[in-house]
Amino acid sequence: MTIQNRDKFLDHLAERLGQPRHQLADHPYQQLNDLPQQTLSDRSPAELLTLARKNSEALPVTFYEVAPVELPQLLTDYISSKGGGPVLLPTTERFTDYNLTDWQASIAATETVNYWQPDADRATNLKAAEIANISISFADFMLAESGTITVSTNAGQGRALHFLPTHYLSIVPRSRVVARSTQAVAWYEQERAAGRLDSSAIHFITGPSNSGDIEMQLVTGVHGPLDVTYVVVDD
Amino acid sequence: MGLKTSTLPFTERIADAAKDQFAHASIAKAQDTQYTKRENARAELGHWQDWRKLGQSIRQHVIQYLPDYLEEFSDNVEKRGGHVFFAQTTDEANDFILNVIKQQNGHHVVKSKSMVTAELDIDKKLQALPDVSILETDLAEFILQEDDWDEPSHIVFPAIHKNRDQVQTIFKKLGYDGDNDPEHMARFARKYLRQRFLEADIGITGCNFAIADSGLINLDTNEGNADLADSIPKTQIVVMGMERLVPSMKEAEIMDNLLARSAVGQKLTTYVTFEGQQSAGESDGPEDFYVVILDNNRSKALGTEFQEILQCIRCGACLNVCPVYRQIGGHGYGSLYPGPVGAVLSPILGGYEQFGELPFASSLCAACTETCPVLIPLHNLLIKHREVETDRLKMMHGFTDFQMRVVGKGTSSPFMFKMALRFKHFGLSPWTHQRPVTATNFFEYNGAMITNGPGMVGGWTDVRDLPSPPKHRDDFRVWFKHHKQQGGETK
Repeated sequence: MTIQNRDKFLDHLAERLGQPRHQLADHPYQQLNDLPQQTLSDRSPAELLTLARKNSEALPVTFYEVAPVELPQLLTDYISSKGGGPVLLPTTERFTDYNLTDWQASIAATETVNYWQPDADRATNLKAAEIANISISFADFMLAESGTITVSTNAGQGRALHFLPTHYLSIVPRSRVVARSTQAVAWYEQERAAGRLDSSAIHFITGPSNSGDIEMQLVTGVHGPLDVTYVVVDD
Repeated sequence: MGLKTSTLPFTERIADAAKDQFAHASIAKAQDTQYTKRENARAELGHWQDWRKLGQSIRQHVIQYLPDYLEEFSDNVEKRGGHVFFAQTTDEANDFILNVIKQQNGHHVVKSKSMVTAELDIDKKLQALPDVSILETDLAEFILQEDDWDEPSHIVFPAIHKNRDQVQTIFKKLGYDGDNDPEHMARFARKYLRQRFLEADIGITGCNFAIADSGLINLDTNEGNADLADSIPKTQIVVMGMERLVPSMKEAEIMDNLLARSAVGQKLTTYVTFEGQQSAGESDGPEDFYVVILDNNRSKALGTEFQEILQCIRCGACLNVCPVYRQIGGHGYGSLYPGPVGAVLSPILGGYEQFGELPFASSLCAACTETCPVLIPLHNLLIKHREVETDRLKMMHGFTDFQMRVVGKGTSSPFMFKMALRFKHFGLSPWTHQRPVTATNFFEYNGAMITNGPGMVGGWTDVRDLPSPPKHRDDFRVWFKHHKQQGGETK
């Protein structure tokens, strides 16, 4: 039995509330106002990008805007600036979408490159993430209001890819820079409802891991990456 | 220690708290810093009052239809392959969790910060298991664990009462040989905790919000420790209070926005995660996913004047504005849940016998109500608790009750009231002492002060000035009467 003690528990709550169970279908939640949808809705794409940069850099996050043709060199320089590999990459067709297949081959020739492998077991992929100095991910969205990128887990891009490596870079197309979390959540809900997304984990990541637990002094990198870089690619 | 964090009487806890000068300064600094950050974040968002109403409407709707939302959530967890256990009591919850760990042959448990698991006192139960290690992974909770399981003193900043030197001393026991720079100590903790994460086979997390229509849970952390606890171990156990639901991700997103701004003035918490049982093809995340839904007397608030306290999203904003919390800190409350929210919630969860003093640990200034992002009328709920204790349960006994009865009689009888006014100067003269008259006090009380006052008066004179009342002939009422008789202007 996968659900235990439910009916007795819920009957007790209904009794306390003074109403029978199974009322929700006739009383679904109606959003009180449209503030989430209206906030920043008047901003143009260019304004949102400017806002995203400002809010990201305040976190602090290193922020780049590049043309597709500039992306390979930027990634190579980034890896070099962080002391080189091991580099952990996702297994995804997005490398092809960004014309990065030649870069994949070239970087593998000079650095230790591992992939989060869809057919590998837990231990193998976690080991690759554990030893990685750098990981690179492909984000679904960038949120201008908060300087956030969103990523969803799949067989080729696991959860720990975002948290175990020391340095973290995420790539997002310019067309996916949206106002705020409202738009990203709406898309994820739509994709899930349509059966196009069966991810067990969706992460909204806003800069590097941090803590103010010792005398309220903010320090970065307590658990997750020590630093974070966003790359917005024109599309 | 569970919900009750101290066995000392309330007055002794307050006296202890008053001695801790570092905690005083630290809390004052935190409150002042957080005020600026919180209010700026809310102002930048705009329409804050309407956002609060939106948050309130979501939470109130969920509480009103709680059985249905819990049923929907548990159905969806099951559809994803997970398991749900409804626990009426902390004992039931603990037994289930310990059984899961045993069944899964778990040896290394990592935990992320969770108020509900602290309510269970699960750490102590796990420590008692042979061959099982338990590690708190939130930096503050880790510090408290390594300091012989010291109690937390704030919902958001559990180790706010510790200074950097104390943390350095604690870490030295673990092999740290660096200075007291928080960044250096955080790096040490990172290295220490990372190794333990990698060998963990059980992850225990809390839950900011459970998503009813998907069976996912929403976790918000700035450190990312909850994400490691739900990524690396093969088994995840989520423990949640029964009220922590939202209808869908859409409402979770709204609540996350309110939470981040209210807790620490962020636009979003660094890691906002929606996660659940591993999907097909994925290699990390929980292969075995358990959710424990805890009542532990929360249901006593349902259908009562206290139902609104279940709207709470544990942002801690009410602590950060409370003048009483500023003075007595978290440990003064003697409850896992300190501050105004704790003063309302603790008597419901633990009963008036254990926490009956807390509703009186308030100035009723209503700053908590003003800042609450989901519009919980906290100060009104404190008054309701007082009404229950005095009128319904007749809990007020002893000398204080006697004094209040005397005051009640005296103020309700014109004769007695006038007699009291006539003899107040004489009556208080044994406790009256003359202080040197200065330019600043001359016009106020001419230097005559009540010190170490009797009974309830002592509660005031211990910490505040109380001028001696004037003699009857100098009393304002007497003066006014004479003035009027002499044809003086009275308007």
